[in-house]
Amino acid sequence: MQRALEINSMIEIKDLQKIYNGVRVVNIPELNIRTGETVGLIGNNGAGKTTLFRMMLDLIRPDKGEILSKDKNVAQSNDWKNYTTSYLDEGFLIDYLTPEEYFYFTGSLFKLSKAHIDSELTNYTEFFNGEILNRGKYIRDLSKGNQAKVGVVASLMQEPELLMLDEPFANIDPSTQIRLKKMVKDLSAKKRITTIISSHDLNHVTEVCERILLMEKGKIIKDIATNSNTLQELEEYFSVLS
Amino acid sequence: MTLTFLSQQWKAFWRSQNKGKSLAMRIVMGILVLYLLLNVLFVAFFMDKILMKTFPDQDILQTFNSFIIYYFLMDLIMRFQLQELPTLSIRPYLHLPISKNQIVNYLSITSLATAFNLTPFLLTIPFLVKVLIPQHGLGAFWGYMGCILGLTLFNHFFSLWLKRKVNLNAFWMLAFFGLLLIIWALEFYFNLISLSNISKDFFNTIISESYICVIAILLAVVMFMINHSYLKSNLYLDELQTSKTSVKSSTEIPYLDRFGVVGDLAANELKLILRNKRPRSVLMMCIMFMFYGLIFYNNPKYDGYGHIVFCGMFMTGIFIINYGQFMFSWQSAHFDGILSSRIQPEDFFKSKFLLFDVFSTFCFLLTIPYVYFGWKVLIVHFVMYVWNLGVNTILVLYFANQNYKRIDLTKGGSFNWEGVGASQWILSIPLMITPFLIYLPLSYFDYPEVGLAAIAIIGIISIFSREFWLRKLVSIFRSKRYAIAEGFRNQ
Repeated sequence: MQRALEINSMIEIKDLQKIYNGVRVVNIPELNIRTGETVGLIGNNGAGKTTLFRMMLDLIRPDKGEILSKDKNVAQSNDWKNYTTSYLDEGFLIDYLTPEEYFYFTGSLFKLSKAHIDSELTNYTEFFNGEILNRGKYIRDLSKGNQAKVGVVASLMQEPELLMLDEPFANIDPSTQIRLKKMVKDLSAKKRITTIISSHDLNHVTEVCERILLMEKGKIIKDIATNSNTLQELEEYFSVLS
Repeated sequence: MTLTFLSQQWKAFWRSQNKGKSLAMRIVMGILVLYLLLNVLFVAFFMDKILMKTFPDQDILQTFNSFIIYYFLMDLIMRFQLQELPTLSIRPYLHLPISKNQIVNYLSITSLATAFNLTPFLLTIPFLVKVLIPQHGLGAFWGYMGCILGLTLFNHFFSLWLKRKVNLNAFWMLAFFGLLLIIWALEFYFNLISLSNISKDFFNTIISESYICVIAILLAVVMFMINHSYLKSNLYLDELQTSKTSVKSSTEIPYLDRFGVVGDLAANELKLILRNKRPRSVLMMCIMFMFYGLIFYNNPKYDGYGHIVFCGMFMTGIFIINYGQFMFSWQSAHFDGILSSRIQPEDFFKSKFLLFDVFSTFCFLLTIPYVYFGWKVLIVHFVMYVWNLGVNTILVLYFANQNYKRIDLTKGGSFNWEGVGASQWILSIPLMITPFLIYLPLSYFDYPEVGLAAIAIIGIISIFSREFWLRKLVSIFRSKRYAIAEGFRNQ
């Protein structure tokens, strides 16, 4: 039984801690994210969401504990990079490239041909709303929302097994938010992609994610399977907290 | 209001995250400027002697007068190259109830604090006191002062105005230099005008009728108004941001395609260099350096190989040295993306080697015409090319692993100390010294050819053992990656 559970877990966190200036910004004794789960990460500013993402992507070193992706420590093995894509912020974009060049480049890292990427990109025509492709602009000249679109699509397009998005709904317009929700839901339903999304929008998160992790001061204080009452429960929590 | 701006700028400086670094840089810069000003003062005090020596059969005051206009032309060109536009990051103020006049006034007034405005006075006052006052009295002196003040301020505001124009449209720069070229041609080629005579006549008039200096001051006032109104009418966010958007095309570099991921990475970096201001200016520097040899090879004083070793290393390796010293800061803005993507560190480093190889080869080919100065020049260049590819690439990449300083690619290159840290200074030592450690002892005992051969052999061995060094570099990179990424995240 124990064995079966381990094989099924995509991310396993053990006794993870990160300390800045004596403050524990992330403190997670144990967390398991199973393959195919869609997990929403919520919490007020400073709760430690982005720090947790960065540790999962091996961008900062934990002070204690470890993160296993498919049973391998992300800090010691590079294997996770072969099935993980992510978009946290503009620091992930090469801003002097055109969007097309960026897609070709990230695609080439996954051995996808240009033709393949061009055909993939047609799936996103609606999502891009005519503002990304063939506009003759570098990424740095795009608006924040459009930059986010480039980053999100670049990570979706590789068909990863594990997808991490930090506040993908921020900065983008309502129609795009709705399209993005649909895309993420489809991906996790059809291809069993494990997805971790953080957001400040409780509506979106409860709609997309089947499991919600609520962070406060570095700790995961709630771990709930989404049901019809979840949104109300979360709203109550946040309104009391202020 | 100006005082409030000043105090907020003051806070911005002291509270910035890397204040220690910028403070140290400012002190260094301050000392440098002070030293230059001292030199100016030195020249100023002995100006009469210098003029007398250089033009013994002319009246020194006349010589001085005829030079003033050239000085201010030079001053203008220098300002155009080096003077910085005053930067109050005005974005947070534009939407507040602060009148545009106040913002523009602040920008204009603070811009005056530059060494460029001090030099003309330092340079002329001692001379005028020594020569002019005894001959023509105080009235003439104040006339001169008025003129110099007027011309200085005119230059100041003209160069600011021109720089802003050029930022929006590079055509203005062409027009400016074209005009200078025409004046130069008219004077020296066609002999139609003589600036020195104009200058002489004007200042001779000042000596007798000193109130004429009002003309120069009026010029400055007019220029101030032009600059003021230009700034005021362009104080919009979208217009202050440079670069009129032209359509950007997605270029491919077919040659690099054959190297797979490594080639893609190198192609990306090539785009980085061509599409951003700061690395582009580094590239321009590299091209300028191709003329470095002319300084030495023309001079019969130098013989032997020593100076060719030096020049050859710089000319064939200038890209490695100049661009490589700031690695990986060039990519600081998207370093998180690189780390979390599927790029293997080995490929990352291989792409750097590829880039170095391509550029060095290119530089070597460009220096082939130096064969005019003898075959040995070409041979030494080739030896140093091999050395650069073998040793300096590894050296530079080793130090790149120790470099945690972020660079903003969009800022210009000259006098930009961002991203400069200890690692660049330390790097320059082994870079300059090692080839001479090998060459000089052997050449001292009269075996310069053996010294060259030793350099070549070490270079070749390093090239063939690259895989080994690559693994070393990668393992250092793995242990340093958090620190590098952390440093690059600090804006």
